[in-house]
Amino acid sequence: MLETIRPKKRTLYLYLLLPLIIYVFTVFVPLVTALFYSFFEWKGGPEKAFNGVSNYIQLYNDATFWKAFGNNIYLVVACLVGQIGIAFFLVLLVNSRQARLKSIHRTFGFFPSTISAVCIGMIWAMVYHNKYGILNWFLTTVGRPDLCEVWLNDTQHIMLIVTIPLIWQFIGYYMVIIFSAVASIDSEVFESAEIDGANAFQTAMRITLPLIKNTMLVCVTLCIAGNMKAFDNIYTMTRGGPGTASMVMAMYGYKISFEQSNMGYGSSISVGIFVLSLLVIGGSQWLVKRITRQVEV
Amino acid sequence: MAKANKHRARNGILSLFTNLILWVFSLSCVFPLIWMLYSSLKEKRVFNADIIGLPQSPTLTNYIRILSNEDYHLAEAMTNSLRTTVLSILLIVTFSFIVGYILSRVRFKLNRPLYVIFLMGMLIPVHSLLVPIYVVFRSLDLNDKWYTLLFPYVSFGLPIGIFLVEGFVKSIPISLEEAAAIDGSTFSNTLWRIILPICRPILVTVAIIQVFSCWNEFSFALVLMKSVQLQTIPLALTQFKGQFASDYPKQMASMLITMAPIVILYFVFNREIIKGMVAGAVKG
Repeated sequence: MLETIRPKKRTLYLYLLLPLIIYVFTVFVPLVTALFYSFFEWKGGPEKAFNGVSNYIQLYNDATFWKAFGNNIYLVVACLVGQIGIAFFLVLLVNSRQARLKSIHRTFGFFPSTISAVCIGMIWAMVYHNKYGILNWFLTTVGRPDLCEVWLNDTQHIMLIVTIPLIWQFIGYYMVIIFSAVASIDSEVFESAEIDGANAFQTAMRITLPLIKNTMLVCVTLCIAGNMKAFDNIYTMTRGGPGTASMVMAMYGYKISFEQSNMGYGSSISVGIFVLSLLVIGGSQWLVKRITRQVEV
Repeated sequence: MAKANKHRARNGILSLFTNLILWVFSLSCVFPLIWMLYSSLKEKRVFNADIIGLPQSPTLTNYIRILSNEDYHLAEAMTNSLRTTVLSILLIVTFSFIVGYILSRVRFKLNRPLYVIFLMGMLIPVHSLLVPIYVVFRSLDLNDKWYTLLFPYVSFGLPIGIFLVEGFVKSIPISLEEAAAIDGSTFSNTLWRIILPICRPILVTVAIIQVFSCWNEFSFALVLMKSVQLQTIPLALTQFKGQFASDYPKQMASMLITMAPIVILYFVFNREIIKGMVAGAVKG
């Protein structure tokens, strides 16, 4: 802390005032407002009627909301395995002695994560299109036109179908993060492992992974937080459809509030998203910390 | 000898597979861009007949039609995105610098409470604010203005920015400011003339992280902006998707036009960008 120059109180608060006002106004005021309106029956018009906790009772019994929550969890799990798992595997490959042109893979691989989710959604909608899509073109070309279908209407597999673009988009992102962690490991560690006769799999699981544990935890946290707020991709590709098969929480809140203009119930859903996301993120942090501590003991 | 040859052969196969997998992945990442680049030069009719082939007679008609038709508002959307992004970044960088420095160096009663309040921004699931922000902004008539999106973008960018600056300032030796104070430098003078130049690298990192999130942001723009004249790019694109539903070359051309600034920025500065994004992710 600085002791020699103390700014005047007035200077200090003058500097802090504007950022603080904007920040509190945009983040905390809406939160409190949402909590307030969640106790009202309000269709977006001038009339509001206090109806106690009945919005929350409705939320508790709302099968679509819980299905949306389940889909968020599906995204989280699929992306944990898909994004971080594949990224880790690719980092091992890039780091191996055989790999050539490492920086090209880094540049190309990271590229999709700089593109907007809307573009990614549109591109993949093209890939999945039944008539002009690359996927069906590919299946026809390899002689399996029987497998062609209208992918984005496939209720049964829709979650997998919308998750693949999400996984693909961010593999490179996690790859780069994990790569920088692995690069900071002392190369002597790997040399002595090789001398001791460890194979590639043993080195990866017993040496690399424990040494980059903290970075992996950062990736896990980013991945969970990122997928609890999934919205853009789903909005562009399916809007939660067919039916409610690919509904996620943010999409549901949007639909109720803006398509049915049910602002009161929409506010309760927002509070629900807030609480559930915090619980999942906090809970997973706690769980991960417990597991890693056990491993160390 | 035989053993060495076998070893070499095994290494060769391993090397082949390693590089093959990496190339399949890397090419999948840029393939959509390349596919869109050459397909956008085809007429709709040609594309529908053969979606993957190279254009026999490349044409710029799609681009000309999109850019010359004022109903599409593409130029306006670009201007809106550019203005929103530039202003948001300027505000985020300035505010992060000021608040980050003060929280790191100045002892005052509200220091820790403020730190906690700003850090909470990183934990709050911002998507739960989608509906509430609309409600608040509409009741104060703040939605659908040219400055509307600055509020959420600046507010959501601030916590990570403050956090990064705060950490960076801690690593600057305090003797620097003490020497300045002895020379009679005021607080503001020290802040802008001495600390700001030192903080340049971390402020560049903050700016890099935010360029992409502001330029690409969709959900808050969707909720808060209604008039076509004020739409940002992602919003305009979702409209094109409806308008050009069965006209893929046109969709591709419009996407490429809007992606161009970010793609060029990325391929020119990819080293700095990747470094900045990683630093932001790992420290945040």
